[in-house]
Amino acid sequence: MTGKPCPDLRDRSAAPYWEAAARHELKLPRCDACGLVFFPPRDLCPNCWSDKLTWQTMSGTGAVWTFTEVHVPFYDDTWADDVPYVVAVVELDEGPRMLTNIVESDTDSLAIGDRVEVTFEDRSEGLTLPVFRVVNS
Amino acid sequence: MSVLDGIAIVGVAETAIGKLPGRSAISLQAEAAVAAVADAGLAKADIDGVFSFSGYSQAMMLHAARLAEHLGLRPELAVVTDVGGPGTHHAALLNVAAAIDAGMCTAALCAYGENGLSIRRSGRGRAPGTLTGGEDFEAPYGQIAMISGYALFAQRHMHLYGTTSEQLGAVAVASRHHASLNDNAHKREPITLADHQASPMISSPLRRLDCSLISDAGGAFVATSVEWARSLGVPFARVLGYGAATTHHIASQAPDLGELGGPIAAARAFERAGLSAADADAAYIHDACTFSVVAGVEALGLCGEGEGGPYAESGALALGSDCPVNLHGGMLSHGHAGGVFHLLDAVRQLQGTAGRRQVDGAETVVVHGNGGVFSTFSTMVLGRGR
Repeated sequence: MTGKPCPDLRDRSAAPYWEAAARHELKLPRCDACGLVFFPPRDLCPNCWSDKLTWQTMSGTGAVWTFTEVHVPFYDDTWADDVPYVVAVVELDEGPRMLTNIVESDTDSLAIGDRVEVTFEDRSEGLTLPVFRVVNS
Repeated sequence: MSVLDGIAIVGVAETAIGKLPGRSAISLQAEAAVAAVADAGLAKADIDGVFSFSGYSQAMMLHAARLAEHLGLRPELAVVTDVGGPGTHHAALLNVAAAIDAGMCTAALCAYGENGLSIRRSGRGRAPGTLTGGEDFEAPYGQIAMISGYALFAQRHMHLYGTTSEQLGAVAVASRHHASLNDNAHKREPITLADHQASPMISSPLRRLDCSLISDAGGAFVATSVEWARSLGVPFARVLGYGAATTHHIASQAPDLGELGGPIAAARAFERAGLSAADADAAYIHDACTFSVVAGVEALGLCGEGEGGPYAESGALALGSDCPVNLHGGMLSHGHAGGVFHLLDAVRQLQGTAGRRQVDGAETVVVHGNGGVFSTFSTMVLGRGR
């Protein structure tokens, strides 16, 4: 047990997302009616309110939209062994933006626009987080 | 004609600000409340409405009822608003205006306060990761503090517009200068740009001196009708225009910088007031971090989009300029208790009671800023009451 925050893995609207992540797949809901691929998962399309959704496997590639390197552990020592760590918003090639970590990368040279690909962090208690690493060109 | 047109703020008060061990958030709110009622020249029996927010350090349900009980009040209405930042207090004023219009209230007490500094050290504060709104999809990544959410936007502003850390530092220096003119400010010792640049990185690109303080403090105001305010014979402020905009909740769902709600809220407020930024004698911008002020001066139209950094660096934020910003010292230096102090100091400017930081003859003051991670924006234009 790491003590780090854990999402509600049984929440109906997001369970397929977490189950896919545990298999090291990145899946997001796509609206059958209007075609929007969206994040975070929910029971209805935020564009047209249709509840006819299909889980679609993402390419797993995208670009850094913005980022910050966190240098201090906030509140308590939960993240003390992790600092400094990079929190980023990645824009997937399919369109949605998601908050994540940038791992296995030279963070000193990290820049907005850098190409990234998904990888997975198996954490604990059945929780696997999609994270991203910079793709060296 | 809006119900807000007839609303006056007649009394303001704040507690000591800093580290106040042993003080609950509600005791700070109550202390400020009693002082605000006295500042208005009113008595307990005159108060027949309570509008509040618990703050985040000791969040609770039905906070306004709790505060009313604490103060021995039995009002018709006890209403909580939680818009974030200045929006919480602005929306409270909208509720007060509606309540007065509906005949449900004549004089409303609006109180806020936090004990974020002491309760954090006691370990009894609110659980980490629940403040930024991303319990499921952001907190597991270590996005647990407001400041790293702001850092994401500061980084993007630097990327798009070339904003520099030194320009952010100019905001910190200006805020501390104003706080040095305010005897109740949490941090009053002047700082230099070199101090800012030497302060440790917290969440890049934001350094410690880019971050607002965490304080124990309470602040309160009393709102009533302009008609009643005139009869009291005390100086007061009145609402000239209010605008807001809501675009998202969690950081990853924000639109890009040029599409955030700040300029929209500001334009709505100025249009409703029949005024523009050029009419403002001072601005109070919710400064969760230095970058919030850069974004705020752009949103208000004091400079163009992307020009907030050079604007701050030019000295335009300081007392003596056309539209000084955060004359009380802001949350960067005066204190952070949910942002209510911006509104309180705006009212003082219009009452003419701001002491060494008074803008001579201030007629129009604007209060602006965001809640969440630039999620909600709120702008209120206030004028001198007569």
